[in-house]
Amino acid sequence: MPRIDAHLHVFTKASSEFPREISDVWPAEREEPVEKLLGEMEKHQIDQAVLVQMAGASIENHRYLLRCLKEYPNRFLGIGLVPEGHPNPTDHMAELTDNTGIIGFRFSTFGGPRDIFAKMDVREFAAYPIWKCAAERDYVLWLYPNAINAHLLPYLVQEFPQVRVVLNHLAVCPGNGKFSWDEFGRPQIQVTGYNLTMHTTYRLARFENVNVHLSGQYAFSQEEFPYKDLAGWHRGLLSGFGVKRLMWATDFPWILEEPGYGKLTTVIEELLPDLSEAELADIMGGNAKRILRFPNL
Amino acid sequence: MILPTPAEKKQWEEEGYLVFENAIQGEDLKRLQTAFDHWADACKEEWLDRVEAGDAVATFYDIPNPLEKDPIFIDIIDYPSYYGALMEFTDHDLILLGPQVRTVAPWPVSYTGWHPDVGYDNPLHIKVQIYVNDVEQGGGEFGFVPGSHKPGSGPYTRPMRQESMTGHKTFPGKAGTAIMFNSCGWHVSMDNHSDTPRKSIILIYEKRTPGRIGPQQYASISEYCQTPERRKLFSLDG
Repeated sequence: MPRIDAHLHVFTKASSEFPREISDVWPAEREEPVEKLLGEMEKHQIDQAVLVQMAGASIENHRYLLRCLKEYPNRFLGIGLVPEGHPNPTDHMAELTDNTGIIGFRFSTFGGPRDIFAKMDVREFAAYPIWKCAAERDYVLWLYPNAINAHLLPYLVQEFPQVRVVLNHLAVCPGNGKFSWDEFGRPQIQVTGYNLTMHTTYRLARFENVNVHLSGQYAFSQEEFPYKDLAGWHRGLLSGFGVKRLMWATDFPWILEEPGYGKLTTVIEELLPDLSEAELADIMGGNAKRILRFPNL
Repeated sequence: MILPTPAEKKQWEEEGYLVFENAIQGEDLKRLQTAFDHWADACKEEWLDRVEAGDAVATFYDIPNPLEKDPIFIDIIDYPSYYGALMEFTDHDLILLGPQVRTVAPWPVSYTGWHPDVGYDNPLHIKVQIYVNDVEQGGGEFGFVPGSHKPGSGPYTRPMRQESMTGHKTFPGKAGTAIMFNSCGWHVSMDNHSDTPRKSIILIYEKRTPGRIGPQQYASISEYCQTPERRKLFSLDG
């Protein structure tokens, strides 16, 4: 069974060939190229990976991702972005998925009522056309909902049971103002001690098309690797979603310095030590291969 | 104090729950509904801001510090229709752990799955859920697995769907209904597919253990706790 890293990022220096947005964390001269990733994968026996677009949502911003997918069609699948408020998101998505290796798109908002007690008409949600398009064209939706959007998700999932959904990073829904970067250049998300997502995204386990990444531990944990304080969250997800709908991922490159790519390839066995060998293999790649339809190597 | 009948005691021991229909009615129910609606409305925006900040659950909300907001929320803690049963079952050594004055939104999925609250080694832990509005079947009503409070029952596993739980019973009811249950038992809020939020109050009690609740916990309402029984119930004397 292949070992698949189901969520990470690569980028190159900003240039006219590969334009991208810049920030303090990914300035124009920084690069975390696919060759560096392949080196880590080779060293730690990881066969395939999902490359997730970052640093810009325009078609041009996707050029480096598209090049990586074209160059290594058997190693990678891609997840794209859609510019917020795009007048015609379905055209944008069609262009990016035209035999390119991009299989879906990442979102964090759904454009519905902020108040769960409001009348919900899913067709009025701003994200409805995107979900409809995903249903028609078999895209995967890669979701990292912010906290005020979490309650909208089951209405969409219920409306489009054929859409494959992957909830990123332990199905956590980050709160507004709770994001920062730590001294190792890693995203940090401040979360409450009581796991609020038990009452929102964890409840989506009922829907068979919803899957979850076991990743991003470094961003939520109060401890160093292996993030034992999150073992309960992992057990909760395993109990709710079952072993066939969980996917391991590293969130490369943010973890390169601390704890390092190699350590993260063992995080699942550290946090779920009672898994059988076959169950561990499912989470480490078998599920990603089946759900995301990775090509045979 | 209304003590439980022998039949009620038997049901409590064997099934782990009791239902008190019309436990609160008339003027008291109106007071309760008015206070609930007033404070739920007053607290809602702040709750939404906390949801947005990732500090509160998005699928239900509790009125913060309800005992300080209206005396009716204190009066229901030792309300005669069920207080006698609480006292009897805890050998007249009862303490309040806390109230949850809770509004649950209609949602495609219940906000929680089947679970027990405590293990069998915990001191007797009892909850009383009081419906503040009518709760129909499919409206987020309480669900319980009779007998699941007993050591040796089960094993129980969490089903994907609330209605798939083996041996469960659901409890739709009119406003003012109180359902008392042993929290070792497996219970849940059923899905609410109606258009109506479920308004209920969950009172949490336990058989006293020294130091479980400190005297400061309810000091702010001590003026309402003048009798020795109330002071004991609210752990005001330590």
